[in-house]
Parts: sequence; structure tokens; C-alpha cells
Amino acid sequence: MKASFVELKGRERAEALLDKGTFTELLGPFDRIESPHLEPQGIVPESDDGMIIARGTINGLQAVVLSIEGAFQGGGIGEVCGSKIAGSLERVLVDNQAGKKTIPIIIFDTGGVRLQEANYGLLIISEIQSAIVALREFVPVIGLIPGNVGCFGGMSITAALCSNLIMTATARFGMNGPEVIEQEAGIAEFNSKDRRLIWDTIGGTTRFETGFIDQLVEDDVDTFKAAINKAINETNVKPRTRRIDEYLSLVNRVDPLKKNTKDDIIELRKAKTNATTPVLANGIAPGRGRNWFNIFTSNAVSISEYPSVLIADTNFGGKLTRFIAVVTNSENRYPRNRHGEVGLQEGWAMAKYIREAIEADAITGEKRNIVAVIDVPSQAYGYNEELMGIHFSCAASVDAYASARMAGHSVTGLIVGNAISGAFLAHGLQSSRLIALDDAGINVQAMSKQSAARITKRTIAELEEATQKVPAMAYDIKNYFSLGPLDCLIKGVNADEPNPADIEKVSYELLKAIKKSDSTIKHRLETKQAVEQGRKYSILVREKIAEQWT
Amino acid sequence: MESFSFETKGNQILNQRSHVGVVGSGDLEVLIEPGNNNKAIFNVRTASEGFQETWKAVFERFMDINEVVATITINDFGATPGVVALRLAQALEIAKQNKD
Repeated sequence: MKASFVELKGRERAEALLDKGTFTELLGPFDRIESPHLEPQGIVPESDDGMIIARGTINGLQAVVLSIEGAFQGGGIGEVCGSKIAGSLERVLVDNQAGKKTIPIIIFDTGGVRLQEANYGLLIISEIQSAIVALREFVPVIGLIPGNVGCFGGMSITAALCSNLIMTATARFGMNGPEVIEQEAGIAEFNSKDRRLIWDTIGGTTRFETGFIDQLVEDDVDTFKAAINKAINETNVKPRTRRIDEYLSLVNRVDPLKKNTKDDIIELRKAKTNATTPVLANGIAPGRGRNWFNIFTSNAVSISEYPSVLIADTNFGGKLTRFIAVVTNSENRYPRNRHGEVGLQEGWAMAKYIREAIEADAITGEKRNIVAVIDVPSQAYGYNEELMGIHFSCAASVDAYASARMAGHSVTGLIVGNAISGAFLAHGLQSSRLIALDDAGINVQAMSKQSAARITKRTIAELEEATQKVPAMAYDIKNYFSLGPLDCLIKGVNADEPNPADIEKVSYELLKAIKKSDSTIKHRLETKQAVEQGRKYSILVREKIAEQWT
Repeated sequence: MESFSFETKGNQILNQRSHVGVVGSGDLEVLIEPGNNNKAIFNVRTASEGFQETWKAVFERFMDINEVVATITINDFGATPGVVALRLAQALEIAKQNKD
């Protein structure tokens, strides 16, 4: 007889996967480390913040199951539950580095960032992603998307980084939820009421047939266990996020002006081709990202084949530095991508040029610095984007930035404009050090106000009221600074039309940050703002995990 | 949301703490912790405001049958009285079992 896995609650799911009698929970309900950010917004918290950390064995092998409870706040990632995942993965990494083989398994049942704790969600998702990239060098990181909520938003990028993804046919896996695409791009782009269309785009079967997941399984506990076993033994598989040529070729060959179907993608994937990059139209539009990129590179010609991704190497402060910016191309082949968004091309293209630098410098031993010039309005919201796995494009870029950092490149982010959502995860949040201009025009957030209001069922006014109580909900750079992720906030600079003194000031701070960058992103938990207030619970969760991790 | 507490006398000693349920739509989580002061204390946080009398009735009914000495924490997301009674019974069943 079959035993449903999907119907189990988060804790029961973890228990079902582990060998009988080996389940041990860390930071369980009685530790009562719940989110401090919900009650002030009139939302009832949960004693475990909807995250179960379970240690035990699978076929005798040490394992950690991180199970997201989708029934609590849609499995949204806030400060506490997110830090439970990040903190656990960081411990699993330490164990594996010390030769204690431990298999990490993540059960994704999540809508992505918990919008009531927005900027915490984004920050911590990037910390989870960094840990996964590091862990993949030692063990397969196994991801399950059993369904109910499915896996969306920033966490879809996280799942895309996993070594092996296991799904059921009744689960959905996409970056932007259908409602959000409809909100951002209109009903003609994606009708969120059209269930057939949704399943044919982001459903488990489609994801399997179009090659974005590894195993499609029936909803049965033993079947899931067998799939996990298979994943544990499948080593030496190149992660999708490193198969850049394959996916870029797909992105280059598809016709973005038509509504492609999954069969179109399957056909394109079958064709063996060494397609070269198409000659892409370049609709140059002014913008902060482009402007600051030009300033730092002295108007160097970008080496990128993609006009929306600027790449140039220059001598900056005495060392070769690769500057990267995502900019507006009003003629972008992908119509949902004409305002500087990170889309299918941009994520894969950034990955390509970062990896080229890593590989070239591995030979010479001189690791160039990498600087992300950040001004990104969002990821691209569109139907083709979902079908073709925009979350994998973003994940490829995350992987590349993180890999560069871990390979010894200084990776630094400079926020000159907006830093929003999945685009910020793909371009900026893997930086060891982040600095920003202190400018009222800068927004840092997980979602536009309109969409956030719609998804959390509040009015814009209610949303703005909540930002008064919870700084992580705010959109401005000063509140973001108070969370601790920024090394410094550069005051008194004209972000749009900087004069020579402004440029000198920003260059000085950027160089300082570049020199401080290390191979980790943990510094953001060590700043004065983080320790005193901004990341108190992120730090507490990690301390408690360390205490209980025996 | 609103939060409130309810306290009454108890005399039945429990063997262990227990946890059931999820703070999900129409559901709640219940945490029972054995006490030692002849009291049953209910600490409630609920998404649905204005039902204190109903909660009190459910607790009184529960205590009529089980005069537990315990602190009972409830995080509720709009559960009906029937669901509340069911979760309390489930949590109690575990709390009565011998510690393993």
C-alpha cells in the first residue's frame, strides 16, 4: 500500500525520510525561537517558525533533513526559519570539510521570501545559496519539491542550485507565481486562472520533460526514499547551473516573441547544435548602472555578446578588476526584459563571463577582482521566462559569483540604483562586501509594492504602515543599512550626475571594500548594525544550532 | 490577532511535554508542558479576535475531563472549536505517554 508523502506535515516528512528511531530535532517547538517580526504586524507566530531541522541517518548514512512547513505562512522564508536552514547547512559544510560525510536534504514547500520579513528573506536566501554552492563540492545537495505550495521566488533559485531535484506531478516549480506575473505583466502575458497553462508551464511533469529536474516520482514515502538513495549515489553529475553553454544555446535559439510550449522546448533541446550567439540589437538607454560602469571602466567597450550585460576588465586601484552591470536594452530580444531586468539571457551571460575569469585566472594564479555594479529593477516577469526556467538563469549567476568568491576572487557589490528581488540575488547578494550610495532614489526589496500588497492581501497604505514597525519591510536604503548587510553608506553623492569629487569618494570606498572582501559572506552578520539589532535573531539561531549540534 | 491567558485548577500530573498541529489556515498548534503548581494555564494567541468566551468554554470542557497540571500554549490560525478540542486531545494523549 502507498503512504502519501505530500499529505504529511513538515515534521512528519522529515521523520518519514530518516531511518526509524534516528530522528532528532534541533531548535524544535519547545526552544521557542519564533519570528519576532510577525506579532508586531498582527500575525500569529509558530513556535518553530515553520522550519524543521532533523538529524538522523538514511540507510545508515548521516543526514540532515531541512523541512519547510508549507502550511505556515506559505512556507515563506523569514529571518528565523531562513537562518535555521542557512545555519544548519553551514554546520553540515563544516562536518563534511572535517571528513564527516553528511547528506543535506531540503524539502521545499515555499512561496519564497516571507513578504512580512522581506529583506531578511532575500539576505538569508543568499546565505542558504552560498552554503549550497560550497557543499556541492563535497556531497550531493538533494532537493525535494513534493507539493502543496511547491517552490517559488528566491527559493526556486535555491532549489535550482541543488545537485538533484525530486518532484511529484502535483507540485509546481517556478520563479514568479502566476498571480505575480499577471500583476506585473498583464493577463495577456499569463492568465493566472488558466490552470492547464500553469501545469504545462511549471508543473512537475513539464519540469521533468523539459529537463529542469532529475526525478519525477509518485506520491509515496518509499518512492521518495528510493529517489533520495539514487541521488546520494549519483555523484560526478555536472550541476545545471554550470552547464552554461547548453542553456545559453537554448536561450539564444528560442523565439521569445511567441508563446512557446513545452514541446517547443523539448524539440529545441533535442537538436544538437553549436549555435553561436545571435547578433543582438542594442537599444542603449541611460541609467545609473551604465553610467557608473562607464565611470569605473573609463568607457571601456564591453566584451559581452549580450548588450544588457556589460562586462569589462580594467585596472582599478592597481589591480585587474572585472566590472559587471546589468543595464537597459530597449531592443532586448526578450520583450519582458527591456528595462534592465535580469532575465534568461542575463543570468546565464553573467555566469559565462564570471566563469571565464575564474578559469583564466586559475591558470595565471592572479585572481582579478570582481565588482557588481547594481541597479536592477527586478527579474523579468514573463511566460517564456517561466517555461524556460528563469530561476536556473539566476541560479547560474549566483553559482558563478559564489564560486568566484570561494576561488579567491574579491567579489564586491556596489548599489547605485535599485536592488530588487531575484535580480539582486543573481547580481549582488553573493558579494563578500556590499556598499551603497545613500540616495533616496534607491529601492531594496523582495517585490514591488503593488505585488507585495496583492500577495499579502493588504492595501499599499497598510503595507507602508508595517514598514514603520519592521525595517526589513521598508524599501529605502537607510532602513536596509540598519539590517547590517552594508559595509558603508556613501553620503553626499549625486547618484545620477556625479561630479569628480563624488567619483573620487565612491572609488575610495569601493576600493576599501574590495580590499576587505574575503571568500565568505559572513561579514554581514558581524557589522555593528547586524550585531546590535539588524541580525540579532540570525545570530541567535546560529548560536543555538551550534549548541545543539553534537 | 489577540492574545490572552486563562488559568484554572488542575491535579493530574503529566509525563512529558507534547506538540501537535501547525499554525496554518483553520488549524492551530498546541504545546503542552507539565507543570508542578496545581494549575492549568492556557496561553493563547489567535488570528481571530473576539472569541474569548468560546475559547473559555472549550478549555472548561477540556478541564472537566482532564484536570491537567500544565502550561498549554496555543498559536491559532482560525481553528474551529471542534478542531481546537481535537488538537488538545491529541496533545494530551502524547503528554500522558511515558517518557521514552
